[in-house]
Amino acid sequence: MAIEAFIAELVSFRAAAEAALGVVVDSAGLEQARVEFLGARSGRLKDIQKLLGGLATADKPAGGRHFNEAKAAVTSLFATAHERLGCGRRAAADARAIDVTLPGDPVRLGHVHPITQTIRQVQEIMARLGFEIADGPEVEDQWHNFEALAIPAEHPARDPLDNFYLAVARGADPLLLRSQTSTVQIRVMEARRPPLRIVSLGRVYRPDTADATHYPMFHQVEGLLVERGTTMAHLKSVLRQLASSFLGGDVHVRFRPSFFPFTEPSVEFDMEWGGRWIEMGGAGMVDPAVLAAVGYDPDEFSGFAFGLGVERIAARRYGVADIRDFYRNDVRFLRQF
Amino acid sequence: MIISTTWLSEYVSLPESTAALVERLLLSGLNHESTRRVGEDTAVEIEVTSNRPDCLGHIGVAREVAVLFDRPLRVPDPRPREADESAADAITVEIVAPEVCPHYTARVIRGVKVGPSPRWLVDRLATVGVASVNNVVDVTNYVMLECGQPLHAFDMAAIRGGRIVVRQAIPGELFTAINHKDYALAAGMGVIADAVGPVALAGVMGGAGSEISAATSDVLLESAQFAPLAVRAAARGLVLASPSSYRFERGPDPAAVDYASRRAAALIEELAGGRVLRGAVTAGQLAAGGATIVLRHARVGEVLGIEVSAERQREILSGLGFEAQAADATTSRWRSPSWRRDCWREIDLVEEIARIEGYDRVPENVPIATRTVPESPRGRTLRRCSEVLVAQGLCEAMTRSVVGQPLEETASPWSAAPPLVCQPPLVRGADRLRRTLLPSLLEARAGNLAVGADTPDLFETARAYLARPAGTPAATPIEEPLLAAFVIGGAFARGKGLLEAVLVRLGLAPSSAAATFRPVTLDLFAPGRAAEVVLVAGSSAGERIGVVGEVAADVLERFGLKGPVVAAELRLDRLEAWADVERKLERPSDFPAIDRDVNLVVGETVPWGDVAAAIRTGAGALLEDCRLEQVWTDADRLGAGKKSFVVALRLRSAAGTLSGAEAKQAVDRVVEECGRRCGATLRA
Repeated sequence: MAIEAFIAELVSFRAAAEAALGVVVDSAGLEQARVEFLGARSGRLKDIQKLLGGLATADKPAGGRHFNEAKAAVTSLFATAHERLGCGRRAAADARAIDVTLPGDPVRLGHVHPITQTIRQVQEIMARLGFEIADGPEVEDQWHNFEALAIPAEHPARDPLDNFYLAVARGADPLLLRSQTSTVQIRVMEARRPPLRIVSLGRVYRPDTADATHYPMFHQVEGLLVERGTTMAHLKSVLRQLASSFLGGDVHVRFRPSFFPFTEPSVEFDMEWGGRWIEMGGAGMVDPAVLAAVGYDPDEFSGFAFGLGVERIAARRYGVADIRDFYRNDVRFLRQF
Repeated sequence: MIISTTWLSEYVSLPESTAALVERLLLSGLNHESTRRVGEDTAVEIEVTSNRPDCLGHIGVAREVAVLFDRPLRVPDPRPREADESAADAITVEIVAPEVCPHYTARVIRGVKVGPSPRWLVDRLATVGVASVNNVVDVTNYVMLECGQPLHAFDMAAIRGGRIVVRQAIPGELFTAINHKDYALAAGMGVIADAVGPVALAGVMGGAGSEISAATSDVLLESAQFAPLAVRAAARGLVLASPSSYRFERGPDPAAVDYASRRAAALIEELAGGRVLRGAVTAGQLAAGGATIVLRHARVGEVLGIEVSAERQREILSGLGFEAQAADATTSRWRSPSWRRDCWREIDLVEEIARIEGYDRVPENVPIATRTVPESPRGRTLRRCSEVLVAQGLCEAMTRSVVGQPLEETASPWSAAPPLVCQPPLVRGADRLRRTLLPSLLEARAGNLAVGADTPDLFETARAYLARPAGTPAATPIEEPLLAAFVIGGAFARGKGLLEAVLVRLGLAPSSAAATFRPVTLDLFAPGRAAEVVLVAGSSAGERIGVVGEVAADVLERFGLKGPVVAAELRLDRLEAWADVERKLERPSDFPAIDRDVNLVVGETVPWGDVAAAIRTGAGALLEDCRLEQVWTDADRLGAGKKSFVVALRLRSAAGTLSGAEAKQAVDRVVEECGRRCGATLRA
């Protein structure tokens, strides 16, 4: 092959490469051009390199020089295009890449106590059913804690050993830490007329020895509805809506007869949870004596009341085996909720 | 109460499956505790509510089964063969204290042969967990467990003077019970005495001196009514509860006093031989139960929300022993049985019908009319406060409302009156109703550090209890302020910042000047490093609604804590009104702001609060923000006794772009006002 023809090949190679790289718009096109012109296996430069062997011996040094010039020029054109397309900057950034598995800057969030979370949840569900929050004192008198609730003086529930009575001046009316949130029902009924839907919640106190299932201070949520024509079917239906919202899904409620001085009929109510009946609390129709004590006509109005032990349902929900854990205030416990 | 199914089947035929039996009882008011095999027999433990003493005997439970499964009830009618000799010739009975014992009966059986009980009796008692003693004592236990009426058998030879006197205990009187322990008695307890002294503690336990032994020949059989309060006083006061006291506290069937006496006398004669003397010696008046009740049949549906036919209502009541006296189309009149003293009103009959008919019939899907409920100011206040504290990494604690002296000796920010005291203590040593939450939180912090828990920053929202100040009327309720408190690691500024954030979230912007911080001295806090928050409303002098400060070194030491620890407490009950205030948009200005730094030099004792107030007055409406950048002292550069506040002012107008001249005028007014009010000079 004549050296002129060889040089002509190189010139057309450079022109073609220049034209192609000048119009490349993305990295895929750039790669395609690289393979076509500079590819190590079947690129056009490779083909020209093969022609080098066909030159006369005397022409070979000059042919090699021309070949190298063309190769350097096209390689440089390629680098320019690479730079133009931003591939170079990205490569440079890659060099500063971070270990994305390293931890983020810590943010310490606080936690609401699981008892409060449970109370709020029940409260929200009851609010959707039209029950407003009512509040009352924790230090109560005998009337609101016992008498208005049809618990007479000789009733065992009033025994000094079963209540936290306050040391008060002789002759003064005895006061005690309330043993149930039903006291709030009495206060609300004394102050207002039906229709009433209230939910009262808070701390109550009974002298139980602290163990895995008892604590002398615990929380109750109590609901009261007094309207014309209220029946036990309304009670069961409200409790079923509470159970379904609280536990999720379609939950059934079961009544078992029981005894409380301030409701008649009285029941314990169970909810179906994980294929078993779980005791949830006590309920019943407000006793006519209680309605009369607050000045309502029991033939005109009827109502129901129910109470839940918050610790018990929170313990079950969160898998807490010992309710004393709720009062240890260990942040390693609190941070799990 | 433990039931033997073999025993129970003597009165009513039982369903084939014990599981079906207990399920039905469970759903009609007798909660199931456990079922277990005992030899050939089955023991079923049931829970009997305090209003149903009739079910503290097998016959009562059998009556429930008979009604629930519609089967006949068979109750024995014992008629002991009586000798000619009269019991009244052998013993006299006198009731001195009818308030302890309204009614007492005694029978006498002479010439018994005390020995082991027959197999059937030993087995039945064993099933229900009662050990056999001898044939006479076993009969008294058996009859109690049959009909619910407790009995006691005395060895007649040990009854001195041939007389029984029922009276109140003499305070301090000593009594040796059948358990061979000595008890000092108190007034209010009842005793059975002979001519010399107590032989039994009325309704609770017999005495060791008169117990039935192998040598006993003549038996005095007591069947009586004892008052619940007297029995409870003795059983509680002496910590001596017995199956007898358990039943008397609840009130057995009055009709069973005589029934049990006849039943036991007949059984003793049958099993131990001897002669039953004629008649029973009685004293007092039997307080009999039984009420007349009118039932409106429609009432059942009105209460239960299900229809139960009048015929079915009558069938249930008759089965339970209620006696129909009259009936018309819509009502019927009933006499309640002696053993159901819990039933005396119409609503009680409705409940009886409901539990036998079954609550499973009550529907659980009736519609409930909707009503809307707004969030209460208290709920909103609590929620907002907790949101801020949780967002800042604090965990909510729950500590006891009643604390011990070590926690209470820290003074309360809220009351100087001594704490209220309760009896018994909530837990050992804790009998004071707390007046502040802070010591409880310090204790909780110490507990966390002791177990190696890191960053135990805690808050709590709970009530405190403040005694009435001296001289207030007794009817004044105990004040129960709702408090929010936190205890965290860090210096004063961290605590104050957190407290301010809570106040802002509750609607009290710091610039509103409604809540101001003033230095305060409280023994919980390090001297000079604590503030009170005072809420100024109208022209009043202002009320303390919060405190914040670094915890004093001696307090930290007492709790085993290392500083710095900052604590704060806020009266949320005083802030509820603010949570309710509606927000209105203040539209941000579209015009550019001008930032100016001023360096004000003042005397070392001038508080920032005074300077800030002067800046606000001086800059007026143009001041958008005033931020304290730096406080520094340098005797060489500022002079001794001086400090410098570096303040960044941001000025902006809502009406137009501020000119440099306007900004300069504002800054000049700031410097002038600070100079006039705080002696400040501008450092060039």
